[in-house]
Amino acid sequence: MSPGAQSCCSGTPPRRSVSELVERGLRRNRAAPLPIEGARCADAEGLSVSFSLDVRTGLVAGIGFDASACATLLAYCELVAETMLGAPPAAARQLAPADLAARLPGVPRLKQSRAFLAVAAFRAALAEIAPVTNTLSEEAQQ
Amino acid sequence: MKVAYIFATQRHTVSYVLAKMILPQLEQDRHGASVVGMFFFEDNNYVLVDGNPIGARLHKVAKDKGILLMGCDQCCYEREIADKLFAGVPIGCFPDLYKALAGNMPDQVITL
Repeated sequence: MSPGAQSCCSGTPPRRSVSELVERGLRRNRAAPLPIEGARCADAEGLSVSFSLDVRTGLVAGIGFDASACATLLAYCELVAETMLGAPPAAARQLAPADLAARLPGVPRLKQSRAFLAVAAFRAALAEIAPVTNTLSEEAQQ
Repeated sequence: MKVAYIFATQRHTVSYVLAKMILPQLEQDRHGASVVGMFFFEDNNYVLVDGNPIGARLHKVAKDKGILLMGCDQCCYEREIADKLFAGVPIGCFPDLYKALAGNMPDQVITL
């Protein structure tokens, strides 16, 4: 059995190298958006991304994104999705681009600006949580 | 004539074609064409890792002649060498390559 397969079967968390995050990010990037959709954010290089969220019982219960085909950006977005799942929105808003970049070694300095784009788009989705929750609450009251 | 090389295959592409044909010719100014860029796929990227002896010669001649060197970003990430390349050698994908070559476009792109 290969070490990778053994790791998978033993239930250990997936490895978070850039390459493996890209692999998983490509799959998540093709998934349908979740109910709460954030604004699309873009950078000067023409890359863009939007996040979508599912929030249940006050926690981020699902994270999706639709990102440009850039390996580094996909890796950062997937890292956001994997590490922020289950967090309270208030805690998720504390994620800073520098923290995200620090959590992913191996990215050349020139490419680390993608972390700013990923975090900006994630925050844009988090900013949509309150209005949607309020609307649902109002509908429930009626 | 201006050319760009894409190192796509992995047999003796770097150790023979680059190291024993192209590179010595560039070092002796007798390559016969002006090389504006080289892009590396798959294991060929190891030549760009800082300290590689063939890469050191290539890096020097590229700096002297203004030749763009670029590694495929996903290939480098997969091999965990993206942050270990010679100083100033970027990684990227096709959009980055085209943008980098836009100011000095090759007449021919040679895939090796």
